[in-house]
Amino acid sequence: MIRLAWLILRKDLTVEVRSGEIAYTTLFFAVTCVLVFAFALVREGKPPDDGAAGILWIAIAFAGNLALGRAFERERQAETLRALLLAPAPRPAVYLGKLLGIVVLLAATEAVLVPLIALLFQARLLAHPFWMAAILASGTLGFAAVGTLFAAMLVRARSRDVLLPVLLYPITVPVIIAGVRGTAALLQPEFEGDIVRFWFALLIAFDAVFVTLSLWTFESVMTD
Amino acid sequence: MAVVTRTIAAFFLTVLCATALLGAAQAPPAPGQPPPRQSEYTPIDQLPPQDQLPAAPLLIAAYSFVLMVFFLYVLSLARRLTSVQRDVDRLGATLKQSKS
Amino acid sequence: MRAATVCALMFALSPLVIASADYESTMGLVQKIFYYHMPSAWMFLVSGLVCGVASVRFLITGDARHDRTAWAAAEMAVIFGLVTIVTGPLWARKAWGTFWIWDARTTSSLVQWMVAWAYLILRKYGGPGSEKLAAGLALFGTANVAFIYVSVNYWRTIHPPTSVVPKLPFTMGFPLWYCVAAFTLLFIVLLKLRVRLEEQRATLDSLYLSMDEQG
Repeated sequence: MIRLAWLILRKDLTVEVRSGEIAYTTLFFAVTCVLVFAFALVREGKPPDDGAAGILWIAIAFAGNLALGRAFERERQAETLRALLLAPAPRPAVYLGKLLGIVVLLAATEAVLVPLIALLFQARLLAHPFWMAAILASGTLGFAAVGTLFAAMLVRARSRDVLLPVLLYPITVPVIIAGVRGTAALLQPEFEGDIVRFWFALLIAFDAVFVTLSLWTFESVMTD
Repeated sequence: MAVVTRTIAAFFLTVLCATALLGAAQAPPAPGQPPPRQSEYTPIDQLPPQDQLPAAPLLIAAYSFVLMVFFLYVLSLARRLTSVQRDVDRLGATLKQSKS
Repeated sequence: MRAATVCALMFALSPLVIASADYESTMGLVQKIFYYHMPSAWMFLVSGLVCGVASVRFLITGDARHDRTAWAAAEMAVIFGLVTIVTGPLWARKAWGTFWIWDARTTSSLVQWMVAWAYLILRKYGGPGSEKLAAGLALFGTANVAFIYVSVNYWRTIHPPTSVVPKLPFTMGFPLWYCVAAFTLLFIVLLKLRVRLEEQRATLDSLYLSMDEQG
């Protein structure tokens, strides 16, 4: 099963590297999002206090929504979804491969977003790089876990573009809250290890629950 | 079935009126003049009674809202049930006619 | 439909029962909102649980009855959630001085309510095949329910903890449990009615199908 997941991941990444469609558009959208926030909220060169954490995670949520909406688009258009599902391997492998692809894409986006936000909002996001990376990774994984499942389920549904955010955001609000609080705790002048650890542990708990639930239900919920 | 839902709706309406009356009967005296400008903070317990937020309007609003929501929902259910029931009966009659 | 009559009577008598309860010492009259706010909050959580369990059973067995129960329970969750989310701030305005605070319980209740709304939107606009999709959504949303109930005890928050209820004196405990009984009965009656609506719709669909077959 791991092999199939790895194969799917490699396939997606190869196509992505060659065409760059989803990656570039998602990245551009995320940057535009942050710029809009900067225009709206930064007054006379002074950004709002503690705004950076929220803006980072909002940008990730919006960009993630965009990327997830197209995660299964190629499969849907080329009718390869059926082929994938008929593959002689457990279906959760398809889910895992897609999930890892989304996570890689969002990680690339975040690599650009974090320095940009640190610059525009004068927030010392890179002061504790390991904790920042840990919180970003766990939050992105939780968000993507739910998002990949819902995107897969919505492949054949009507008005799926509208329905994906409608379904996704209520479920992932706890993840985003935890991510924002964890990032905000990192931005404090004195490093408060307990608070950061608490939110990180909560994120890990969400990840565990969401990935497990998704793996269980992917099989029964996937319609052709 | 629809008659039952209408009866429930009627009950709720009655209760709504009853609650409004009871709530009004329980109301504490209305507040007096608006308070003077604050130069220091006082906890709400130590404020003279006429400066405190009256509770009765909040209480009545809460109870009325609850009963109104259930009343409207029961009404909506009744409407949907009768319309579907009507369609079922109509279709059933048409089928029976075409069979015979 | 004796249950419906009993329920309506209980609600009719509830203002009298609640009026007989003692005034709470710090919050006074406005605390009486508690007698409607808490039972509706409990029914809100129960609807979330019923929806989740029915969704799981539907995913496992594929039986349409569980799907109908899940849909009805989601609608119950929206209704009882609406009641909770409006009565809470009305009480809070007097008791805490502000309409809303973003603590663990209020936030997760709001999120759970949004999930119930999303479920209904999905069922209405999702097109064919949205039953399984909605079941998946409900499954994720239900995990939130336990979190709401427990959250108050673990996070320092001004929301009263769950330990308040067992310690209520009789004069306050009796109206509360009376209202809980009334709300539970109301929940069961409404749920049954709503499921019946879905059953009728299914009958209608099968009638349409047999009409098509006949020509």
